[in-house]
Amino acid sequence: MVLAIFFVLSIGIGSVSIPFSDTCRIILGHVTGSTPGAIIWKIRMPRVLSSLFCGGYLAAGGLLLQVFFRNPIVGPYVLGISSGAILMVALVMLGGLSMGLPAIHPLFLSLAAFCGALGVMVIIVAAASRVKSIVTLLIIGLMMGYLCYAATSILIAFAEREKVKGFVLWQMGSFSGFTWQEFYLVMLLGIPLLVGAYLMSKPLNAFLLGEDYAKTMGVNIRLFRFLIITFSSALAGLVTAFAGPVAFIGLAIPHLARITFRTSDNRVLIPGAVLIGAIVTMLCDLVARTIFSPVELPLSAITSLFGAPVVIGLLLKKRGTI
Amino acid sequence: MTDQGHGKGNARVMETRDLTVGYGKRTVVQGINLNMLKGQFVCLLGPNGSGKTTILRTISGLLSPLKGTIYLGSRMLHDLSPHELAGSMAVVLTERLTPGVITAFDFVALGRYPYTDLLGRLSQKDIRKIRECLHLVNADDIANRYFSELSDGERQKVVFARALAQEPEIIILDEPTIHLDLKHRIELMSILRDSCRRKGITVIVSLHDVDLALKIAELVILVKDGGIMACGPPDEILKEDTVARLYDLKCARFNSMLGTIDLIGDADGMRVFVVAGGGTGIPIYRLLSRNGLEVSTGVIHENDIDYHVARTIGAQVIREEPFREIRDTGFHDAFALLEKADHVIDSGFPVGLSNRKNIKLLLKAVEQGRRVYTLRSREAAHDLYGESAEKLVFCKELRSILGEMARHV
Repeated sequence: MVLAIFFVLSIGIGSVSIPFSDTCRIILGHVTGSTPGAIIWKIRMPRVLSSLFCGGYLAAGGLLLQVFFRNPIVGPYVLGISSGAILMVALVMLGGLSMGLPAIHPLFLSLAAFCGALGVMVIIVAAASRVKSIVTLLIIGLMMGYLCYAATSILIAFAEREKVKGFVLWQMGSFSGFTWQEFYLVMLLGIPLLVGAYLMSKPLNAFLLGEDYAKTMGVNIRLFRFLIITFSSALAGLVTAFAGPVAFIGLAIPHLARITFRTSDNRVLIPGAVLIGAIVTMLCDLVARTIFSPVELPLSAITSLFGAPVVIGLLLKKRGTI
Repeated sequence: MTDQGHGKGNARVMETRDLTVGYGKRTVVQGINLNMLKGQFVCLLGPNGSGKTTILRTISGLLSPLKGTIYLGSRMLHDLSPHELAGSMAVVLTERLTPGVITAFDFVALGRYPYTDLLGRLSQKDIRKIRECLHLVNADDIANRYFSELSDGERQKVVFARALAQEPEIIILDEPTIHLDLKHRIELMSILRDSCRRKGITVIVSLHDVDLALKIAELVILVKDGGIMACGPPDEILKEDTVARLYDLKCARFNSMLGTIDLIGDADGMRVFVVAGGGTGIPIYRLLSRNGLEVSTGVIHENDIDYHVARTIGAQVIREEPFREIRDTGFHDAFALLEKADHVIDSGFPVGLSNRKNIKLLLKAVEQGRRVYTLRSREAAHDLYGESAEKLVFCKELRSILGEMARHV
């Protein structure tokens, strides 16, 4: 319900304002002929829908890793997924890996980001089957992040100024320019991952007690480690590939979900986090593109500015329950 | 598994053969050959760092053995799938649990993991089982409270209820009593014992309380210096010297008959001779020993409880065979010790045929001009000592003796 209202609002508000009733009419009647109809159906609809789905993916990915690491301050990017994506995009945008094309096609950029995320993920999964302790794995992830970051900085140092600006903006994440084609891709790739994550909620619940307990309760630790890292990384990688790294959502939404639903049961929490993640991301995107319209603010700035104080406030109020 | 009584026959549930446990290349304990039966209460004792936890982690399948094999029933433990293992064994570890926002009921429900469907939905049978387990640990009233709000004692009960809900044949607990106060410690131990008796579950537990182990366990395993020091029924194994050796006790002594540990007096002060019997000596021995006084006592019968406590605190004891009237040799030995002492105390012991010579002992001391402190009333003293009673120093309570003694050095 909340989702539906915000959804219509998000579609209606923009640099060209469209009245609420018109928006409803256009959406329900699938009007594409008029100018508002074109704006809604060609630009805003895929953008808002994408922000919804990506927000959900990030929240789910973050939740998986928070349970897995039994640490409330990890997010989907903690294993270096975003750093890998950033490095690959830097290579393309700054390092001249554009194969002589005059303009870089957005899909090619997405592909590069996805490859980067995937590369880091493969390394982490390989490490996961070797190391015994989860904490070691966390440290390897962090180190991977630093390595990629170092390589990216070197690329930035040698790059032209104009290109760096574009790159920095990409690094802050944005849902602008999402086409229907991209949206379908994101949706079709992501939904199986979400379903998979939900099916893992039983072993995830066992993980609330820690890896040792989970093992004595019959969880196949090796398989489960592999699945959890793969799913969370794929979710985060998918979003990063199309929208760039979006900060805060994956880290904070699981907390909001836990507080909202007053449970750590992942069967409730996974759908809950997906829902809240979707709403919050959509709203943040709305704010990012409207508040200083026509200048669009970086999405990560909004998500962090809005979200971080909210989470701190909620945590202080409900101290001791997380 | 049924809830009916079980024949505590000889069904072997777990056996280890020439087991070596450790981490990687580091051997922690080797040569472990154990046999654990259905419904048995097994206790691992040993100093910190002796490898109790390593053994428990290995037999619970969390750690691979370095050498040797573990049999669970007739099958090798490490051949079992995680799911099969979970159905026959539940584990309670020492780590502090932070499961997040979860009620006690939901926590126990996690124990149903091996029995629930793909999404972990609880059936009616599961819910009944969870309620039953909560009831067994006397935790019905806290079922709907959040785990993070429970006290240490309540948590440990809920944690054990989760293990019970797994319906295992074996429950392994690593130092479950470590953070608990006396009440919860005893409550938990009696819950564990009931699980053995009523449900036929084999409980394997590592403990630090030798006294509890002596009273509750059916099999104790002493772990020390990288090996199994001894293994068997507690009353055969937990002897005074074994326990002292196990924990390298130098300043305390364990009494297997009483199941108590007393500190050995670190005597540097005056010597005090106590004439006691029938348990009247115990508080005096402990008081004196606590205050650094050297205690000697006599003549005490070997079947007297004073005898055991006096020995465990390291006092010099002149003894007599059970129920036998004190013989002259004992009398003279005791008097020789009394003469060397700085102070003499009459504990107010009951007097009968077999120990009446102790009164003569005290009379002799008084006649020689020694100060004798007594805890008897004046009337009682007159009945026993006659006129000499006037020369005694009467103390109403135990503590005042210390003050009196300090004033008359």
